[in-house]
Amino acid sequence: MKVTVKNWHAIAQWRWDTGTNEDEGDGEGDVCGICRVPYEGCCPSCKMPGDDCPLIWGECSHVFHMHCLLQWIGTAASKQQCPMDRRPWVTAERKVNHSNGR
Amino acid sequence: MAVSTRRLQKELVEIQKQGTPVGITLLSADDFQTWLFTVQVLGDTIYSGELFALKFRFDGQYPIQPPAVQFVVDEKYQAPVHPHVYSNGHICASILGNEWSPVLSVIAVCVTIQSMLASCKKKERPPDNERYVKHAPENPKKTQFVYHDDTV
Repeated sequence: MKVTVKNWHAIAQWRWDTGTNEDEGDGEGDVCGICRVPYEGCCPSCKMPGDDCPLIWGECSHVFHMHCLLQWIGTAASKQQCPMDRRPWVTAERKVNHSNGR
Repeated sequence: MAVSTRRLQKELVEIQKQGTPVGITLLSADDFQTWLFTVQVLGDTIYSGELFALKFRFDGQYPIQPPAVQFVVDEKYQAPVHPHVYSNGHICASILGNEWSPVLSVIAVCVTIQSMLASCKKKERPPDNERYVKHAPENPKKTQFVYHDDTV
Protein backbone atom coordinates (compact mmCIF):
# COMPACT_ATOMS: atom_id res chain seq x y z
CA MET A 1 0.00 0.00 0.00
CA LYS A 2 1.31 3.40 -0.85
CA VAL A 3 0.31 6.40 1.20
CA THR A 4 0.73 9.86 -0.14
CA VAL A 5 0.71 12.69 2.38
CA LYS A 6 -1.27 15.48 0.77
CA ASN A 7 -1.02 17.94 3.59
CA TRP A 8 -0.38 18.06 7.31
CA HIS A 9 -1.02 20.34 10.24
CA ALA A 10 1.56 20.92 12.95
CA ILE A 11 0.17 21.35 16.43
CA ALA A 12 2.17 22.70 19.35
CA GLN A 13 1.26 23.24 22.95
CA TRP A 14 2.95 25.30 25.63
CA ARG A 15 2.50 26.06 29.27
CA TRP A 16 4.30 28.05 31.90
CA ASP A 17 6.61 26.07 34.14
CA THR A 18 5.00 26.84 37.49
CA GLY A 19 6.74 23.96 39.18
CA THR A 20 3.67 21.73 39.22
CA ASN A 21 3.02 18.81 36.93
CA GLU A 22 0.21 19.00 34.45
CA ASP A 23 -1.67 16.14 36.04
CA GLU A 24 -1.30 17.55 39.54
CA GLY A 25 -3.89 19.74 41.20
CA ASP A 26 -7.61 20.07 40.74
CA GLY A 27 -7.36 22.16 37.61
CA GLU A 28 -8.52 25.20 39.53
CA GLY A 29 -5.10 26.04 40.83
CA ASP A 30 -3.94 26.98 37.37
CA VAL A 31 -5.62 30.37 37.19
CA CYS A 32 -4.29 33.72 38.30
CA GLY A 33 -5.99 34.40 41.63
CA ILE A 34 -6.50 38.05 40.74
CA CYS A 35 -8.15 37.91 37.30
CA ARG A 36 -9.16 34.19 37.40
CA VAL A 37 -7.82 33.68 33.88
CA PRO A 38 -5.57 30.63 33.33
CA TYR A 39 -1.85 31.35 33.56
CA GLU A 40 -1.56 30.43 29.90
CA GLY A 41 -4.17 33.03 29.04
CA CYS A 42 -3.37 36.68 29.53
CA CYS A 43 -4.31 39.34 32.03
CA PRO A 44 -7.36 41.50 31.23
CA SER A 45 -5.22 44.33 29.88
CA CYS A 46 -3.37 42.16 27.34
CA LYS A 47 -4.43 40.69 24.04
CA MET A 48 -1.71 38.09 23.51
CA PRO A 49 -0.67 35.44 26.02
CA GLY A 50 2.92 34.31 26.32
CA ASP A 51 6.01 36.41 26.71
CA ASP A 52 4.01 39.63 26.37
CA CYS A 53 2.02 38.74 29.48
CA PRO A 54 4.40 36.80 31.70
CA LEU A 55 3.94 35.35 35.15
CA ILE A 56 5.56 36.57 38.33
CA TRP A 57 6.68 34.32 41.19
CA GLY A 58 6.76 35.36 44.82
CA GLU A 59 9.18 34.09 47.46
CA CYS A 60 6.01 32.90 49.19
CA SER A 61 5.46 30.53 46.22
CA HIS A 62 2.35 32.26 44.89
CA VAL A 63 2.13 32.94 41.18
CA PHE A 64 0.15 35.61 39.30
CA HIS A 65 0.09 37.28 35.91
CA MET A 66 2.80 39.90 36.34
CA HIS A 67 0.50 42.70 35.17
CA CYS A 68 -2.23 41.71 37.64
CA LEU A 69 0.18 41.57 40.58
CA LEU A 70 1.90 44.84 39.67
CA GLN A 71 -1.46 46.58 39.41
CA TRP A 72 -2.30 45.39 42.92
CA ILE A 73 1.14 46.20 44.38
CA GLY A 74 0.84 49.65 42.82
CA THR A 75 -2.11 50.51 45.05
CA ALA A 76 -1.55 51.91 48.54
CA ALA A 77 -4.20 49.50 49.81
CA SER A 78 -2.00 46.51 48.92
CA LYS A 79 0.56 47.49 51.57
CA GLN A 80 2.93 45.64 49.18
CA GLN A 81 1.56 42.32 50.38
CA CYS A 82 0.91 39.08 48.53
CA PRO A 83 -2.88 38.90 47.91
CA MET A 84 -2.91 35.26 48.98
CA ASP A 85 -1.10 35.27 52.30
CA ARG A 86 -0.60 39.01 53.06
CA ARG A 87 3.12 38.47 53.53
CA PRO A 88 5.37 41.21 52.16
CA TRP A 89 5.70 40.60 48.41
CA VAL A 90 9.20 39.56 47.38
CA THR A 91 9.64 38.60 43.75
CA ALA A 92 11.46 35.29 43.41
CA GLU A 93 13.95 34.40 40.74
CA ARG A 94 12.21 32.47 38.01
CA LYS A 95 12.28 28.85 39.05
CA VAL A 96 14.17 26.55 36.73
CA ASN A 97 12.92 23.03 36.49
CA HIS A 98 16.04 20.97 37.07
CA SER A 99 14.29 17.69 36.49
CA ASN A 100 14.01 18.23 32.76
CA GLY A 101 17.52 17.01 32.08
CA ARG A 102 19.37 20.31 32.01
CA MET B 1 -14.43 46.14 28.30
CA ALA B 2 -13.66 47.07 31.87
CA VAL B 3 -11.29 44.77 33.74
CA SER B 4 -14.05 44.22 36.30
CA THR B 5 -16.50 42.89 33.71
CA ARG B 6 -14.37 39.89 32.71
CA ARG B 7 -13.75 38.90 36.29
CA LEU B 8 -17.42 39.34 37.25
CA GLN B 9 -18.52 37.29 34.23
CA LYS B 10 -16.38 34.44 35.53
CA GLU B 11 -17.80 34.75 39.02
CA LEU B 12 -21.35 34.79 37.67
CA VAL B 13 -20.80 31.68 35.56
CA GLU B 14 -19.39 29.92 38.61
CA ILE B 15 -22.44 30.92 40.68
CA GLN B 16 -24.78 29.67 37.96
CA LYS B 17 -22.87 26.40 37.57
CA GLN B 18 -22.09 25.59 41.20
CA GLY B 19 -24.79 27.50 43.04
CA THR B 20 -24.32 29.64 46.11
CA PRO B 21 -23.42 28.53 49.65
CA VAL B 22 -26.29 27.59 51.97
CA GLY B 23 -28.23 30.64 53.16
CA ILE B 24 -27.06 32.84 50.29
CA THR B 25 -29.07 33.36 47.10
CA LEU B 26 -28.49 35.53 44.08
CA LEU B 27 -31.34 38.03 43.79
CA SER B 28 -30.18 39.93 40.74
CA ALA B 29 -27.09 40.42 38.60
CA ASP B 30 -28.53 42.16 35.55
CA ASP B 31 -25.35 44.05 34.81
CA PHE B 32 -21.77 44.25 36.05
CA GLN B 33 -22.34 47.33 38.19
CA THR B 34 -24.80 46.18 40.86
CA TRP B 35 -25.55 42.72 42.26
CA LEU B 36 -28.01 41.78 44.98
CA PHE B 37 -27.97 38.73 47.25
CA THR B 38 -30.17 37.58 50.09
CA VAL B 39 -28.46 36.36 53.22
CA GLN B 40 -29.90 34.15 55.94
CA VAL B 41 -28.05 33.07 59.02
CA LEU B 42 -28.66 29.39 59.52
CA GLY B 43 -28.61 27.40 62.70
CA ASP B 44 -29.26 28.55 66.20
CA THR B 45 -28.39 32.26 66.05
CA ILE B 46 -29.97 35.52 67.17
CA TYR B 47 -30.94 36.24 63.54
CA SER B 48 -32.82 33.02 62.90
CA GLY B 49 -35.86 33.58 60.70
CA GLU B 50 -34.57 36.93 59.43
CA LEU B 51 -33.77 37.59 55.79
CA PHE B 52 -31.36 40.33 54.73
CA ALA B 53 -30.30 41.66 51.37
CA LEU B 54 -26.73 42.61 50.44
CA LYS B 55 -26.00 45.09 47.68
CA PHE B 56 -22.66 45.00 45.82
CA ARG B 57 -21.56 47.87 43.63
CA PHE B 58 -18.48 47.48 41.44
CA ASP B 59 -16.34 50.08 39.77
CA GLY B 60 -14.25 49.28 36.71
CA GLN B 61 -11.25 48.51 38.93
CA TYR B 62 -12.72 45.49 40.74
CA PRO B 63 -11.05 43.26 42.00
CA ILE B 64 -8.04 45.55 42.47
CA GLN B 65 -10.47 47.85 44.29
CA PRO B 66 -12.98 46.33 46.72
CA PRO B 67 -16.68 46.42 45.87
CA ALA B 68 -18.97 48.77 47.81
CA VAL B 69 -21.04 46.42 49.97
CA GLN B 70 -23.97 47.31 52.19
CA PHE B 71 -27.20 45.88 53.50
CA VAL B 72 -30.35 46.96 51.66
CA VAL B 73 -32.71 49.13 53.69
CA ASP B 74 -36.09 49.60 52.00
CA GLU B 75 -39.76 48.65 52.41
CA LYS B 76 -38.85 44.98 52.18
CA TYR B 77 -35.47 44.64 53.91
CA GLN B 78 -33.84 46.00 57.05
CA ALA B 79 -30.20 46.02 58.09
CA PRO B 80 -29.44 43.43 60.77
CA VAL B 81 -29.02 44.85 64.26
CA HIS B 82 -25.30 44.18 64.78
CA PRO B 83 -22.45 46.14 66.42
CA HIS B 84 -20.75 46.55 63.02
CA VAL B 85 -23.83 47.33 60.93
CA TYR B 86 -25.26 50.85 60.84
CA SER B 87 -28.99 51.31 60.51
CA ASN B 88 -28.50 52.72 56.99
CA GLY B 89 -27.03 49.37 55.94
CA HIS B 90 -23.36 50.40 55.96
CA ILE B 91 -21.00 47.72 57.28
CA CYS B 92 -17.80 48.27 59.22
CA ALA B 93 -15.75 45.25 58.12
CA SER B 94 -12.03 45.37 57.44
CA ILE B 95 -12.14 43.04 54.43
CA LEU B 96 -14.24 45.69 52.63
CA GLY B 97 -11.57 48.28 53.40
CA ASN B 98 -7.92 47.95 54.33
CA GLU B 99 -7.94 44.15 54.50
CA TRP B 100 -9.36 43.70 51.00
CA SER B 101 -7.48 41.34 48.72
CA PRO B 102 -8.05 40.94 44.97
CA VAL B 103 -8.17 37.16 45.38
CA LEU B 104 -11.42 37.55 47.34
CA SER B 105 -14.70 37.23 45.48
CA VAL B 106 -18.32 38.31 45.79
CA ILE B 107 -19.27 34.96 47.31
CA ALA B 108 -16.33 35.10 49.73
CA VAL B 109 -17.59 38.49 50.94
CA CYS B 110 -21.15 37.12 51.34
CA VAL B 111 -19.84 34.20 53.40
CA THR B 112 -17.70 36.46 55.60
CA ILE B 113 -20.63 38.74 56.36
CA GLN B 114 -22.90 35.77 56.98
CA SER B 115 -20.42 34.39 59.53
CA MET B 116 -19.98 37.84 61.08
CA LEU B 117 -23.71 37.71 61.83
CA ALA B 118 -23.63 34.06 62.90
CA SER B 119 -21.02 34.70 65.59
CA CYS B 120 -22.87 37.69 67.09
CA LYS B 121 -24.32 37.15 70.56
CA LYS B 122 -26.08 40.44 71.23
CA LYS B 123 -28.22 42.59 68.96
CA GLU B 124 -27.01 46.15 69.22
CA ARG B 125 -26.14 48.99 66.88
CA PRO B 126 -22.66 50.51 66.71
CA PRO B 127 -22.25 53.05 69.54
CA ASP B 128 -21.97 55.95 67.07
CA ASN B 129 -24.88 54.83 64.89
CA GLU B 130 -26.98 57.99 65.06
CA ARG B 131 -24.10 60.34 64.46
CA TYR B 132 -22.76 58.24 61.59
CA VAL B 133 -26.07 57.74 59.80
CA LYS B 134 -26.83 61.48 59.96
CA HIS B 135 -23.68 62.41 58.04
CA ALA B 136 -22.87 59.20 56.18
CA PRO B 137 -21.99 59.41 52.48
CA GLU B 138 -24.28 57.55 50.11
CA ASN B 139 -21.47 55.14 49.21
CA PRO B 140 -19.95 53.32 52.20
CA LYS B 141 -16.56 53.18 50.43
CA LYS B 142 -16.28 56.92 51.05
CA THR B 143 -16.22 56.31 54.79
CA GLN B 144 -12.88 55.75 56.52
CA PHE B 145 -13.95 53.19 59.05
CA VAL B 146 -11.83 52.53 62.10
CA TYR B 147 -11.70 48.81 62.80
CA HIS B 148 -11.62 48.68 66.54
CA ASP B 149 -13.18 45.39 67.49
CA ASP B 150 -12.36 41.97 66.12
CA THR B 151 -14.40 40.01 68.63
CA VAL B 152 -17.74 40.07 66.80
